[in-house]
Amino acid sequence: MLSEAFLRSLRNLRLNPLRRRSGSLTGERRSVRRGRSVEFADYRNYTPGDDPRRVDWNIYARLERPYIKLFEDEEDLTTHILLDSSPSMQWQDEDEDTPYKWRRAAELAVALGYIALASGDKLVVETNGRAGIQHFGPRRGGAAMAELIKFVEGLMNTSSTRIPANVPAMGKPAMPLNDWFKRYALKAKPGLCIIISDLLDEGGYEEGLTALGSSRLDLHVLHTLCPAELDPQLIGDLKLKDIETNRTQDLSLDDAVMAQYRQRLSEWTAAITNFARRRGGRYHLTDTSLPMEQILLKDLRRETWLV
Amino acid sequence: MNFLNPLALLAALLAVPIILLYLLRLQRREQPVSSTLLWRQVIMDREANTLWQKLRRNLLLLLQLFTLLFLVFALIRPYVNVQSQLSGKLIVLLDTSASMLATDVAPSRFEAARAEALKLIDQLGNNDQMTLIAVDDAPRILSTTTNDASQLRASLNDIAPTLTTANWSAAISLAAGLGGEGTTTIVISDGANAGDMQLLQGAARYIPIGSSGDNIAISTLSLRRTVRGLSAFVRVSNNGAQDDSVLVSLKADGNLIDARTLAVPAGQSATWTINAMDPAITTLQASIDQAEHNTLAADDQAYAVNVNNTMRRALLLTRGNRFLEQAMSTLPNLRTTRAVALPPASEQTYDLYVLDNMTVTLPANANALIIGAQTVFSTSGTFSNTAYVRTETHPIVQDLDWRTINVLDIQRVNAPATLRPVILTQGGPALLAGEGVPMRNLTQLRRAVVLPFELRRSDLPLQIAFPILMANVVDYLAPPQGLSVPTQVRPGEIVALPEGAVVQPPGQSPVAVDARGFANTNTAGIYGFRLNTSAASDAMNSGAFAVNFLNPIESAITPNPQLQVGNATTNATVQTQLTQREFWNVMAVLALLLLIAEWWVYQRGVPARLASLGQTAQPAPSTPASTK
Repeated sequence: MLSEAFLRSLRNLRLNPLRRRSGSLTGERRSVRRGRSVEFADYRNYTPGDDPRRVDWNIYARLERPYIKLFEDEEDLTTHILLDSSPSMQWQDEDEDTPYKWRRAAELAVALGYIALASGDKLVVETNGRAGIQHFGPRRGGAAMAELIKFVEGLMNTSSTRIPANVPAMGKPAMPLNDWFKRYALKAKPGLCIIISDLLDEGGYEEGLTALGSSRLDLHVLHTLCPAELDPQLIGDLKLKDIETNRTQDLSLDDAVMAQYRQRLSEWTAAITNFARRRGGRYHLTDTSLPMEQILLKDLRRETWLV
Repeated sequence: MNFLNPLALLAALLAVPIILLYLLRLQRREQPVSSTLLWRQVIMDREANTLWQKLRRNLLLLLQLFTLLFLVFALIRPYVNVQSQLSGKLIVLLDTSASMLATDVAPSRFEAARAEALKLIDQLGNNDQMTLIAVDDAPRILSTTTNDASQLRASLNDIAPTLTTANWSAAISLAAGLGGEGTTTIVISDGANAGDMQLLQGAARYIPIGSSGDNIAISTLSLRRTVRGLSAFVRVSNNGAQDDSVLVSLKADGNLIDARTLAVPAGQSATWTINAMDPAITTLQASIDQAEHNTLAADDQAYAVNVNNTMRRALLLTRGNRFLEQAMSTLPNLRTTRAVALPPASEQTYDLYVLDNMTVTLPANANALIIGAQTVFSTSGTFSNTAYVRTETHPIVQDLDWRTINVLDIQRVNAPATLRPVILTQGGPALLAGEGVPMRNLTQLRRAVVLPFELRRSDLPLQIAFPILMANVVDYLAPPQGLSVPTQVRPGEIVALPEGAVVQPPGQSPVAVDARGFANTNTAGIYGFRLNTSAASDAMNSGAFAVNFLNPIESAITPNPQLQVGNATTNATVQTQLTQREFWNVMAVLALLLLIAEWWVYQRGVPARLASLGQTAQPAPSTPASTK
């Protein structure tokens, strides 16, 4: 799915929450709660900036490499990844070279999950595929990585077969985003919540995001749109068919209409940005045709999602 | 409205495939998209424009159908029957004489006449034909009989009025030659000085031009030598119906020497004599500078040339020859002295000598016409076989026809080598000429012409050839000087200048004269000239002549609106006829404009990204162009 080398390049990255949260596990982050850690949980690599008091000097003496000891009852961070796998996410450009939306979204989920696990955070992944809500975690530690990959590959095998453009779309639409988000918000523990979605839902996204935001979750909206949505190359008199709802729409496309579409798109993304920011969250619009390196190592780091 | 080609209506069936293709095109292609969420918002934005969108889509169809409609309309060649005053074969006689330069109708009578002719051209039906004839002193056909309006217009634009009098009889002959059954002759003229128009054959119509006859003209300007110097005589005529007072100025060599206001009663003339002018002046110009009732400018100027008259002197040595004396006395600029013997050498010499059967020893380098050769050259008897054989090229036989001349007998001249035969008969030469001719006494003559027979032994003096021969001989022996050119020339007249002369027309660059003489005398003014003969002195080599309008006929410009042409007068009821007027070209132009409009509408609707469609996998949408 993702190459070993690419995953290695992610090792030193950490998710950067907007606020300090109190977690139930000892993590590398300072907790708002003061307390002592007693129960050993795991080791992890020392990274510059870590408190040297927490280095396990015995291990250092043996291996001559610094490791940090992790203990329960100390602060940690739960990372929630909500991976939208609704039919609109399954959309594929006709251009074979472009990885389709869903594949790129799944890869992003794996990569971000890997970063979270590698930095000792607790990871929860949930999708709302056709087969219903599927859940992974909560898990922590490097050992969970293989399970995560297995989970996502399982998703791809069941729900992510590519939808040819001319085939009427899949049957029942997935649970609407709002319902899913609201339901998740009820049970979610505070932490960092990454939403990987195109947000193309008839019912909108606002209520769901509001519910997530008010559950003490740091909203990170990773908006995935493919080139066919960002800059559609359509022309003439067409009957547009929504593969998610099977609704059709007659439209005569010319320059003026295309300009209007682009205008609408930018207004829409701007509205989501504002919405997320007002709820103390982050928003990043990504083109799914971009390479993973570009998205993770450049774009998300520039926007300080990752440090 | 009728149609010449109704069968072309079948082309209207093309509308069926157009509409069919259009309907086929309207079946929308289904295009799956990930979500129509945003597209629906776009549509909500455009709801206000939906009507326009629909309309525009239909607009293309409408434009295409209208284009087809107009094309079909053009193809069936619609025509309307219009009431035309003229139809069939038209001959238009357009007056281009000097009176048409009058400005009593703005901008001028000629322009008004041209406008009338253009109107006629515009009225030409499909089956009508027109011939344009410009009528001045030499009427000519401007365009051959044609239906081509553009050609007629072009030839009409090329003409301009001349300073000449219209030669209506020649124009009528020309029209009669062109005319035939069903021909209508249209005369566009001011009617001034056109008296013989009743001779026109067939149907005729007259379009009168001009409103006023007011015109002041200089009708005479003459120069005369008197004992007190030069005298000029100016006559100013009032051709109009109103008395006028006219300011006339006189310029000598371009400098104003006098001006005077003359009162000229209507229909009369006033004269002015200017005396004691400097005899050294060369040109004189009289002009009307100010007049109240003057609509023709061409006759407001007159020019005169003061010729320094140096006469050629001839000595006629004869015992009496009436023919010879008569012929020589009529030649211009020649003063002939008659004698029976050569005057003493101390006395004046003569430009030429004429020896009529006299034995005289001529001075060296004299120019001589020798009649009866035995007096100067040795001869060997006579011959009577005098039938004409041929004429050599020589200036003295220009325009001379020897064939009708009979000579009883001719002396056989033992001519020197320089004396060449000019006219040959079966027996021998009948006329000889040459330069540097030695006489019997070995004295050389500069130029000599020999008629080796006695005039009374031939009918030459009775023939028209005799004065021609005498004029040629005198001009040859004493070469033509500036004076032999007329000082007054009418516009359009040919001036018989010798080949090689150079003429300086007023305000133009010099022109070399060819063998046909100088013909470009269409502008009034002083024309200087220089003969290209190296022999004579400059004074004899150059001179000037004046081209003067001075045309009392054309100065009388009073228009005649009631001119009778052919059998009809102008106010007779003009019979109107039906003419077919086609207008398919208008339809074709409309169709083209619609096509352009349709293309424009289509271009506005389709993004310029059409090219990029080839790169993406989107199939190209059907275009309106493909429905044609």
